[in-house]
Amino acid sequence: MTGIHPPGGSLARRTLLKAGAGGLGLAALADLAACSQDGGGSSKSLKMLYFGEQAQATELQNRLQPQIAKLDATIKFEISAINGTDWNDFLAKVLTQIAAGTPPDIISVATEGLQLMASKELAVPLDDYVTKDLDALKEYFADIHPALVESMMYQGHLWELPDSFNAGNMFYSTELFQRAGVVPPSADWTLDDFEAAATKIAKFKGINAFGWVVRLWGSWTSFMYANNANLLEEGKYDGGDWLWNKAYAGDAAATGRKGGWKWGAPTANSEATVEALNYMIELTKKGLSPSPDVGGGGTLQGLFASNRIGMSIGGGFWAGGLTNAGMKNGSFDVTMFPKWKSQRHLFGAGGYAIFKSSKKKDLAWEVLKLLVKPETFDLVFPGNVTTPGRKSLVTAARYAKTGPKHWSVFYDTLTKHPDTAPIPAPPYYNALATALNQRTTQAISSGNAKAALDGLQSDLEKAAGAS
Amino acid sequence: MAAVTAEIREAVVKRRGHPSSHGEARFGFAMIGLSVLFVAVFTAIPIVASLGLSFFSWDVISTPEYVGLKNYQRLFTDGPVLKSFGVTLGMALAIVVLQLTIGLGLAVLVNQRKLVWVRTLFRTTFYLPLLASTAAVSIFMGYLFDYKFGVVNYYLSLLGIPNVPWLTSGFGAAATIVLIAVWQQIGFTFVLFVASLMSVPTDVLEAAQIDGAGAMRTLFRIKIPLISPTILFAAVVALINAMQLFDQPYIMTKGGPGSATTTVTISMYQKGFQNLEFGYGSAIAIVLLAAILVITGLQFLAARKLVFYQ
Repeated sequence: MTGIHPPGGSLARRTLLKAGAGGLGLAALADLAACSQDGGGSSKSLKMLYFGEQAQATELQNRLQPQIAKLDATIKFEISAINGTDWNDFLAKVLTQIAAGTPPDIISVATEGLQLMASKELAVPLDDYVTKDLDALKEYFADIHPALVESMMYQGHLWELPDSFNAGNMFYSTELFQRAGVVPPSADWTLDDFEAAATKIAKFKGINAFGWVVRLWGSWTSFMYANNANLLEEGKYDGGDWLWNKAYAGDAAATGRKGGWKWGAPTANSEATVEALNYMIELTKKGLSPSPDVGGGGTLQGLFASNRIGMSIGGGFWAGGLTNAGMKNGSFDVTMFPKWKSQRHLFGAGGYAIFKSSKKKDLAWEVLKLLVKPETFDLVFPGNVTTPGRKSLVTAARYAKTGPKHWSVFYDTLTKHPDTAPIPAPPYYNALATALNQRTTQAISSGNAKAALDGLQSDLEKAAGAS
Repeated sequence: MAAVTAEIREAVVKRRGHPSSHGEARFGFAMIGLSVLFVAVFTAIPIVASLGLSFFSWDVISTPEYVGLKNYQRLFTDGPVLKSFGVTLGMALAIVVLQLTIGLGLAVLVNQRKLVWVRTLFRTTFYLPLLASTAAVSIFMGYLFDYKFGVVNYYLSLLGIPNVPWLTSGFGAAATIVLIAVWQQIGFTFVLFVASLMSVPTDVLEAAQIDGAGAMRTLFRIKIPLISPTILFAAVVALINAMQLFDQPYIMTKGGPGSATTTVTISMYQKGFQNLEFGYGSAIAIVLLAAILVITGLQFLAARKLVFYQ
């Protein structure tokens, strides 16, 4: 693990002296900020950071407070929302808040930020807590797919308890499919089937057959995964046996699981990766897909909800998102991502970690266990805005109101496609995401995937080197 | 003149002796102090802090590490960042030229209207975009200029014109952002020019008319030279603003496609807040500040020959 200097250490002081007056003043401020990370909220409050709107966070806080009070009647549970367009934005704001000297006790972090957080030792490994409470947690691990748990591991340690995930499945408008005379796709459909359906739908004026967004999760990267390619070399850290042998003993899905994903050297300009991006360029040239937006996907979801897009990549969060955008149950459905060289999907998971600076780590651990209980899930995520990490929660009853009809696809992605893997989010995820966005738009506008991905390769090599 | 000066001096001397003068002085210093405090807290200290930070490597989380001039050395060999300086300069020049020429043209046209309410109406209309939030305008314009679903391309298609890649081609995105920035900022230069043109002495204009000067000759030989200090001011302010262009490209294109609209401030944001290289981001900010100072200095040097002070 990468070590960091202790805040306010003597080495830091010596180096600061070299900076001169201006730098000294500033660095002292920075040092103070770093020192104040020891705070971790006031002694009578337990602070959690949440990706979303403050109104939702306050509602969640009020809903959970009675349960937290049962753990410690003197503690006030405070959830601060951080708004952002995507996880990249969220992480940047979280780190700014840490720099400002107001670190939380608990943080909700997705796959995107896990390795950054772990490599900087912002959180504490949960190994000891899990080992201590393994009996109580056996029910939890029996309900959570090991792929999700493994995605929350780094260098052999478990950093978060996952509670949710989203795999990159394919959503489609049942109405547009029907109008175009396209048979709803089966779970084992192929890329040729996808393109044939897209060609028929594209004949309608003002309709785009396939819409997508420039980002790491569920973008052209889904095609890249199905083409058995990636932006970085895939590997796994050793370790994790302490968990697999005890919590998942005898579970075939846990076979081969190790100590977390190890993202190696960049492979952004490999033949298969270039082929995947070229495929997207061809889709655009053929008029089957518009030039994509960059960012969170709100516009894409709106266009899909207004029946102007036939197909798009979405996860379980689209069920609630499309319903909230006004789509009726039955007007959309979901299936697996089409098979290319494989039908490998990508996914991102969400969960909770305990901040290293927290002075109430034991209480925070109790809250973490509370947050991953089945009955808490709908308090945290009302209205199908993500996919439950617990298989027992992915039920027909859950999707009865919102749809989609083939809701079982969400969890089947993990169980029926065991090669499904998390998005490549190394400790330098932020730099990777920025470069990926730039190089993707470059490729789409220039029509030259190879040149853009050569550039991405160079960007990633620099970022990996700096990291 | 000497008599007046003596009177003032006498009044000041008398005033100094007045018991309330010390209280007034304190009040004056307090008021000035507030301004100084404001500038110090929100301008001077952040600049000094940023300068200091530019000599460090700091990722927010770890303790800052002194790296001397490394951030600056890196900047001058960092192709994408250097390109962002070029992109910024190009877009800024286009914005300033368009903002000044269109603003002046509109001001001249409006100034010829004799009815006060007409002038007021135009002034208000052209100034309104400036009052709108740049972020809101950028989001709105992003929808308007969307390649596939945008209203602009929809109406063009009714005229038989194929969809224009306003924001999805390199040149298109830069040009669209420039036009939107000009549209939003033009109210500022327009109002300045209208006010300045109204202050041109009528006797000078009448003399030109008697000498037989036409409208164009009067504009270029009389009006523009007389309002040249205002033009200089508008040019300096417009260039400083344009060099810090961020909201429109960040919201509408995220600096793309590729890096076609990645301005220096976007580079700075990406390095600092997204890649957590706050020292490097600060170095970019300091070099941008220096660039703006140099360009502004050049503007003032050029003004010595081009600006006419009455």
